[in-house]
Amino acid sequence: MSAAIAAAERIGFERLAWLTACLALALLAYVNTLPIWVTGLVAGTAALRLILAARGRGAPPRPLRIAVSLLAIGLLFVQYRTFNGLSAGTALLCLIAGLKLLETEARRDVYVVTMIVYFLSLAALLQGESFWLLSYLIAVSWLTTTALLRITSATPAIQWRSSLRYSGKLLAQSLPLAVAFWLFFPRFGGPLWQLPDDGGGATSGLSDSMSPGDISDLANSDEVAFRVRFSSATPPPEERYWRGPVLHDFDGQTWSRGEPVRVGVPRLLFEGTPYHYTVSLEPHEHNWLFVLDWPSEWNVARAGLTSDYMLVQPTPVVQPVDIVATSYSHAVAAETLNPVMRTRDTAPPPGNPRSLRLAEAMRAAHPDPLDYVHAVLDMFRHQQFYYTLTPPRLGSDPVDGFLFDSKRGFCGHYASAFATLMRAVGIPARVVTGYQGGTYNRFADYWILRQSDAHAWDEIWIDGHGWLRIDPTSMIDPQRVERGLNDIVRAGVPATSRWQQRTPWLSDTRLRLDALRLLWRQRILSFNEESQVKLLSLMHIPDPDEQKLALVLGFCLISGMAWLTWTVRGELTPRPRDPVTRAYQRLCRRLAAAGIARQPHEGAESYAARVARERPDLGAAVAALCRRYSDLRYAARPAAGEAALFIAGVRSFKPRGSRGSS
Amino acid sequence: MKRLRRAATLRLARWAARRHGRDTLPITINRRRIYIIPTRFGIALALLLVAMLLAGLNYNSNLGLAFGFLMMSLVLVAMHHCHRNLQGLIVDARTEVDAFAGGVARLEFVMHNDAAVARSDIEIRCGDVIAIHSVAAGSYHRAALELPVSRRGIARHERFELRTRYPFGWFRAWTYVQSPLTVFVAPEPRGGRSLPPATGGGSAGLSEQRGDEDFAGLRSYEPGVPLKHMAWKVLARGGEAAVRSYTAQAAQPEWLDWSALQDLDPEMRLSQLCRWILDSEHDRHTYGLRLPGAEMAPGKGAAHRLLCLRTLAEYPADTSA
Repeated sequence: MSAAIAAAERIGFERLAWLTACLALALLAYVNTLPIWVTGLVAGTAALRLILAARGRGAPPRPLRIAVSLLAIGLLFVQYRTFNGLSAGTALLCLIAGLKLLETEARRDVYVVTMIVYFLSLAALLQGESFWLLSYLIAVSWLTTTALLRITSATPAIQWRSSLRYSGKLLAQSLPLAVAFWLFFPRFGGPLWQLPDDGGGATSGLSDSMSPGDISDLANSDEVAFRVRFSSATPPPEERYWRGPVLHDFDGQTWSRGEPVRVGVPRLLFEGTPYHYTVSLEPHEHNWLFVLDWPSEWNVARAGLTSDYMLVQPTPVVQPVDIVATSYSHAVAAETLNPVMRTRDTAPPPGNPRSLRLAEAMRAAHPDPLDYVHAVLDMFRHQQFYYTLTPPRLGSDPVDGFLFDSKRGFCGHYASAFATLMRAVGIPARVVTGYQGGTYNRFADYWILRQSDAHAWDEIWIDGHGWLRIDPTSMIDPQRVERGLNDIVRAGVPATSRWQQRTPWLSDTRLRLDALRLLWRQRILSFNEESQVKLLSLMHIPDPDEQKLALVLGFCLISGMAWLTWTVRGELTPRPRDPVTRAYQRLCRRLAAAGIARQPHEGAESYAARVARERPDLGAAVAALCRRYSDLRYAARPAAGEAALFIAGVRSFKPRGSRGSS
Repeated sequence: MKRLRRAATLRLARWAARRHGRDTLPITINRRRIYIIPTRFGIALALLLVAMLLAGLNYNSNLGLAFGFLMMSLVLVAMHHCHRNLQGLIVDARTEVDAFAGGVARLEFVMHNDAAVARSDIEIRCGDVIAIHSVAAGSYHRAALELPVSRRGIARHERFELRTRYPFGWFRAWTYVQSPLTVFVAPEPRGGRSLPPATGGGSAGLSEQRGDEDFAGLRSYEPGVPLKHMAWKVLARGGEAAVRSYTAQAAQPEWLDWSALQDLDPEMRLSQLCRWILDSEHDRHTYGLRLPGAEMAPGKGAAHRLLCLRTLAEYPADTSA
């Protein structure tokens, strides 16, 4: 007998092949992010192991395995310089999975491989956010669990289908508990410990610096930056400027945040219309949040304004987050400009001598700062400046090259040139990057801001007015906007975009899909402590807090376990589907409680006869019910409605007198 | 470590024995007597789940948490299924079986599953011997356990164990059945002496030995009577269990006699007697057995053989010089 068990401990080719398939499916979620050689190595080890198993041989010799492992892990370290962090960690895990497969022989190794599959699935979800990814990985885990069931069972079911059905049933039964856990398990908001900075993850969207050409790269991206739903009136387009990084330092080529200045947040006097809205921000791996100019209130407790009115939080946005905020269309500075900030925002721009000369000349003609600003804007408006996604390359003095030679540029060029011209004459100016405009989704009443809506504009300080938003790009006559289809195609946008513009129904479908995505995002992805509190108050629990949450979770856990016990045990003796049978069983139970239990050999009629003998008071009612039951069961064609009458009759039949009273 | 575990298991088994008392077979395994603990793979998985939970919380990832919680619940569900796998199973065992020293004793178990779901991978354990079987829904399954027996005598197993790790092997559910399994271990049949000659009762005429040739009336039932001699009609009429008595005319019984083997040592004598019993039975002879302090009247058939073998098994080892 013990020999048989030892044989069962070793796993054969078929089982190994299934295990490998499960692992491969889990790794599929990583193909995009893994270094190509890791994928290759894992595929290689899997193939090698399978070939060996197909020939009935065991794992390759131990020294070889150790050598390959050390080599691969060393290589990985050389590539990432760390094993900490999500991308290096998952790469390591994938590698270990492949190497583990190489030595998989006994049942113990099967457990290790399945556990790796589970963890890989989780790690993929830590960064992913799509419904499809979740469904896919649950399906992979289902398959893996089925493989585990078959490999660990001494007498497995013959058919894969029945194994799949069984493990699927187990997964289905675990759903209610999982939902309860998910809803009520306390969330902590922030990370439990500091996440190592992930070098591997590619970030998209705005960064904290801007070369004039940068934004034109974003213009080709369809990716969603955030979505906004206004709970108040929607601001007009000229007020929909979503504030992102504010840039101060200019080295002649690139604008950047520069060193932070240690001054308080200058107070603002809000004027104009208040706008209430919710920004559903996609993770962009930076600290800042996008809000409408000028933000006055927001619900992210950890976030605060910088001295240049950026809304930032201490940790990068790595998960979708909802920001409920209020902004005002206008704001006036309540105090004068701090000298430190003035110095920073009037730093003379290096290089670009022709621009500086032009600025001085214009300033001489317009002594009033506002007149000067209008003169510069008029220059953009009336001269032959063009707006294009594909500006020509500019030399070492890009502002000069743009203003005097090419006169073609993107919003970054205009913002940069304008700020240079302001600073040249001592007017404090800074470049603000963010998003502007957006697509309205009429199916669900919200705005989609894509990376292609990225924008750059300027803010200048005029004494007595405070910071004024100036968008020099908006001066360009629409006729001078060179943004045709051809431009987009040349820039490498996939052909689907052309399709979308030609087929309105397709863009409608896309909008509807996006509405679903927003729903998924808001309900699932950005579910947090506040949502839990809201949920508790929906459940009419007074003063919801963390403690109540834990209580509710505990209650759900206990009742969930009780439900499980009941359900799982109930499968031993399933309730009959047929309502008539169920009713008859109920009748028998009631009579048994009254002291006359039906004997296993008794049919309905003979049972009724005995009841009539032992309890004459019940006799007539029971006889009628049993008569009806017999008819339902044995009559060639029972009368219509008979079943309902029988069930109702049983329901209202309540024999008096308990056990032993007969 | 292994010793520690064995000691803990033994203590647990004793505690369970005190808790449940003696069981009578067949027994229905109810939930109060099923114990369940995670296996080492289950513990490893639990640690992994904690790691998954921490990762999900740390990355504040709702999808990660959803997946982690699903796996957690799956483990809890698997626990219930593991427990249920034993619950309500009806087990019976044939407790008195024959074996010869140096051979194996075949213990026969019947697992009856009247539930609507199959019971997979039920291990029956008796001592160190294990058999794994599955029982389909609404059916029963016979399982045999072959216990090696080395010495003559009565081998008793105070309890046996039903265990399951189905599904997934994350949990181990088990129950003890405190019902002694008795095995009569006859001596190993050995020895080359020829059978002693058949001895008549002294007279040359018809001896009224019980036999199976001529019907001689009814007598009351005693254990070991061949079934074909039972007077079923009498029993069916509600009478006492009776046996049709026959007389054997021709057959003279062989007396397998302890005292005929004086030159051998006691165990060897028993072995030789055992050999003779088997041979006589094989040749369909009528035989009786004489041991110091025990005598089996002549007879034949499976029941007679069984009684004789048991007599040999029960023969005290140290009384004879």
